[in-house]
Amino acid sequence: MKVLARPRRWPGVPRTLGMRLLLILAAGLLLAHALSFALLFYERAMATRGMMLAGMAQDVPLSVALLERLSPSERAEWLPQLQRRTYRYLLRPAQPGTPLASERARQVTALVDRSLGHRYALRARAVSRLPERYEVELTLRDGRPLTIEVTPSLLPIARWLPWVLAVQVALLLACAWLAVRLATRPLVQLADAANRLDPAGGGVAMPQDGPLEVAQAARALNALQARVSAHVSERMQILAAISHDLQTPITRMRLRVEAMDDGEAQQRLLADVGQLSQLVREGIQYARSANVALGPTVRLDLPSFLASVVDDYQDMGKPVQLGELAAVALHTHPQVLRRVVQNLIDNALAYAGGAEAGVRIDAAGLVCIDVLDNGPGIPEASLEAVLQPFHRLESSRGRQTGGTGLGLAIAQQLTQALGGRLRLANRDTGGLRATVELGTAQPTRASAD
Amino acid sequence: MSHTDHILVVDDDRDIRQMVGDYLRKNGLRVSLAADGREMKAALDTSDVDLVVLDVMMPGEDGLSLCRNLRAGKHRAVPVVLLTARDDETDRIIGLEMGADDYVTKPFSSRELLARINAVIRRTRMLPPNLQVSEAARLIGFGQWRLDTSSRHLLDEQGTAYPLSGAEFRLLRVFVDHPQRVLSRDQLLNLTQGRDAELFDRSIDLLVSRLRQRLGDAAKEQAYIKTVRSEGYVFCQPVVLLGDPA
Repeated sequence: MKVLARPRRWPGVPRTLGMRLLLILAAGLLLAHALSFALLFYERAMATRGMMLAGMAQDVPLSVALLERLSPSERAEWLPQLQRRTYRYLLRPAQPGTPLASERARQVTALVDRSLGHRYALRARAVSRLPERYEVELTLRDGRPLTIEVTPSLLPIARWLPWVLAVQVALLLACAWLAVRLATRPLVQLADAANRLDPAGGGVAMPQDGPLEVAQAARALNALQARVSAHVSERMQILAAISHDLQTPITRMRLRVEAMDDGEAQQRLLADVGQLSQLVREGIQYARSANVALGPTVRLDLPSFLASVVDDYQDMGKPVQLGELAAVALHTHPQVLRRVVQNLIDNALAYAGGAEAGVRIDAAGLVCIDVLDNGPGIPEASLEAVLQPFHRLESSRGRQTGGTGLGLAIAQQLTQALGGRLRLANRDTGGLRATVELGTAQPTRASAD
Repeated sequence: MSHTDHILVVDDDRDIRQMVGDYLRKNGLRVSLAADGREMKAALDTSDVDLVVLDVMMPGEDGLSLCRNLRAGKHRAVPVVLLTARDDETDRIIGLEMGADDYVTKPFSSRELLARINAVIRRTRMLPPNLQVSEAARLIGFGQWRLDTSSRHLLDEQGTAYPLSGAEFRLLRVFVDHPQRVLSRDQLLNLTQGRDAELFDRSIDLLVSRLRQRLGDAAKEQAYIKTVRSEGYVFCQPVVLLGDPA
């Protein structure tokens, strides 16, 4: 399959679509928010300044006139009452400073001058730039200095405003996260469904509700699954039908060969017919193993189960031994499990000439049935491949040992049908270990044999 | 022996029918051939048949329903060996439930078929019909055990299944078919010969001890299988037919 080259990654860009969407949305929303707040503050600054100027135009002449009337000794008492938020009156000359720097300061000075009817000589000095502070000095009629100290500042921000801002941002982020989740979750579900897709048709169908695009994708995936499973089951049916129809001619051949005179030719033909019939038999088994009829489960005592399988082999004179037997029982389908174990033992007998079967509980608490042999094992690279149907190792004595290449594939399919897993591994001591991992163990009868 | 067993071979394939017939005749049996259910009924009505070899996959009425009808009709005592096309547990179970006595899987060898025929005839001769109890029931109870005859395992009181090997099952089956009756080692050997009779070389004594172990029957107590000195063995538990497993 062609895999598209992965696009070059930008360092620092998150990998997941969800994260990226969230980042874009959050950045955009925060930026827009900041902009509107900046505008708001600007507007507010303009408004407060206008108010201050208007206030000063009325207030300054009044205050100056009042101070003129008061005797110098009374003036200090009145100062606090004349004081405003952005300016106050001081009974001293202006501090030395630089000439006014800002246009605003000059405007204010001009305004004061106008409101006083140009009757006073004003000397304006900027005292500090940050925070801006400037002083406008005039001389009262009695010769005493009066200084208006102006400290322009915005109206203070309400204490709750940052909190409102924080809540708003949090709300926006939450909405962005929700939207991103809504958009990306169906993708995750689709990927999950695609992973679970079972060629045999046992997979779970995607729910076809939800947003339109998601429903469309789900429908498409379900249709794909249906097509795949129809294709697979059709092939299985063809395989089963061919295998089945072959049995009558093979039976005829076999009977005919047996009726021949004894001889080498007859023996060879019999061997050929035997191989043919084994292939047909296992072909049917494989075709059926994809959707084997399981029937009800039974609580199965595994030591007795393995003993019965091994005894059958021993009764036929085959070198099969019992290994470790943990006392466990399990709800399963005995006939199907029997076929799995038989196929593994048959494989061991074919390639290693002997087998040992046992049951144990692994570290994860799973019941494991092991079939061990002392044969040549399987190269690590082929451990997965030998579970494929009709796969045979190149070096194997395949046909001479009577293998069809289907035994392990059947065992694998049936193990999956049982909800278990088939693993192959080479043993440290040489030979192969085939492990059927089943469910978790159940305690067995206390008074076991 | 003056009596020659008469075998009726029912198969829709002419070549198979004839070749099987030829082989059986060559081995001293009397053989009739039938191509379908109609011919089979005609042959059963006109002559004494000792055993029917019946193909499962036939056009028209198939072997399974023929077998079931045979068991329901007047020829119910005639043993049947099925020729099944598929080596599958469910086919075997269905076949045996339909009343077949044994089965051979296609493609079979004529020698294998002959061995099955002889074993079934020998078995039915040895058993008076009224003692073939387990044929009828899928579940047989005795002592603290139940025997599931189709799945071939023992069930304990909790319903846990303890599978039996083929030889153990056949031996136990013979015992529960003949409770309270002393069976000689020869009888047991004959009755328990399985599908791989030639290879079966364990002595009956060994098999009995293995079965006792499976039943949890201590050699001292012998609650299930008693040894009768110099005669053989007897199954000493009463046997109850329970029908289908719950």
